[in-house]
Amino acid sequence: MTSDPLTAGPITVPADPGPFHCSPAHTALLIIDMQRDFVEPGGFGETLGNDVSLLRSVIPPLQRVRAASRAAGMAIIHTREGHRADLTDCPPAKLNRGEPSLRIGDAGPKGRILIRGEYGHDIIDELTPRTGEVVIDKPGKGAFYATELHELLQVAGITSLVVTGVTTEVCVHTTVREANDRGYECLVLSDCVGSYFPEFQQAGLAMIAAQGGIFGWVAPSAVYLDALSALCPAAVGAATGEEWS
Amino acid sequence: MIRTLTRSAAIGPVVADPYPWPYDGTVKADRVALICIDWQADFCGPGGYVDRMGYDIELTRAGLPGTARMLAHARATGMLVIHTREGHSPDLSDLPANKRWRSAQIGAEIGAPGPQGRILVRGEPGWKIVPEVAPLSGEVLIDKPGKGAFYATQLDLVLRTKHITHIVLTGITTDVCVHTTMREANDRGYECLILSDCTGATELGNHTAALRMVTMQGGVFGCVATSAGVIAATVAANPTGEGHDI
Repeated sequence: MTSDPLTAGPITVPADPGPFHCSPAHTALLIIDMQRDFVEPGGFGETLGNDVSLLRSVIPPLQRVRAASRAAGMAIIHTREGHRADLTDCPPAKLNRGEPSLRIGDAGPKGRILIRGEYGHDIIDELTPRTGEVVIDKPGKGAFYATELHELLQVAGITSLVVTGVTTEVCVHTTVREANDRGYECLVLSDCVGSYFPEFQQAGLAMIAAQGGIFGWVAPSAVYLDALSALCPAAVGAATGEEWS
Repeated sequence: MIRTLTRSAAIGPVVADPYPWPYDGTVKADRVALICIDWQADFCGPGGYVDRMGYDIELTRAGLPGTARMLAHARATGMLVIHTREGHSPDLSDLPANKRWRSAQIGAEIGAPGPQGRILVRGEPGWKIVPEVAPLSGEVLIDKPGKGAFYATQLDLVLRTKHITHIVLTGITTDVCVHTTMREANDRGYECLILSDCTGATELGNHTAALRMVTMQGGVFGCVATSAGVIAATVAANPTGEGHDI
């Protein structure tokens, strides 16, 4: 038996471009920006003309993935993109770019847009963080820049990330790129990440697995759940319960 | 006498997608950094890392003529010129285990002997910048261990020390190192412009998709333009005086 952690993880997920190995004790489930303003009808994302149904399709599989990952003992980390009420952490280039009809901080349909503490900034009810789950507030697209995420993962001994959330080519991709440069192994679950633009969903996933997995691995949630259930039958029950709850 | 564009030059608005760049109208050239990413023999030279992986290096070389023009323009107008190089120390102590493992899986293990020296190791021939866009003495060189030019480097410190607020990006590959760096810069508040004719990818589809991603949602990471667009939008701030004659 080899003791190489890269090849001897307790679970193996068939993935693109090859098998993804990880140990649940050293793996975190990252749930990126499942916020009302991005995902719900009537939110900021929809007022910009986006079809939020493309993002909402990730909710049921992501609920199953969270339940199973919790049952397997994995750390669960949520992120939220947003800014302080006084906007002191919002760069002018982000605030003013492109002369948007609605700016960050303006009154929106679910409170001030992308402001911490507002209703629209918070995570959707279907995925409300549970006791023990971590919430990281980030001012940018990437979850590592100007946050405590890296330090938190180091302290917890996390070496691998299972990545979910929205949107695939913006915040998910930026975070996976940051994680990859920091040496984390990332598995992106293809049906648990979503984009307003189908072409970017496809291109974004293809870019992750290109060149031998230049940023990480990609697999559908079903094979991830299968791999977890082989290790931990309770994970399946948890996922199934979540589906019908 | 030749009148040159000098440090009083201003840039903008540049014809760009999705808005005239920059967001704040015009910018003095000395607040702009031209960042040339990873124009290394390993990525765009014959026998380098990318060539050995079986990709067509004509695709990664496509942006070299445009970048050479942009470099001349940046030097003439007083932009800060920065070159980056991806690579690792000879003892590989800054090479994450997963990066090494993956490179080995595709037959181009970082640190292994290659046609141009040890692959992606600092100081080796394949790691050096190709002559078409070689750095001049005094230009900033950033050695980076990752895809992004900000992570584990002094790039942000250099930019802030030089009072840089705007960044123009060239280099390879569009979807990997250029995009990662643009995303990092954008989160740090720099106003970014990526040049479509000065970049390239190992697959054309990845190049075009990466450029289009920039333009969505009002310019989620900044703007896309061409080198000709930047050059055309550069004017002396005071065309009747103040220029240096040479």
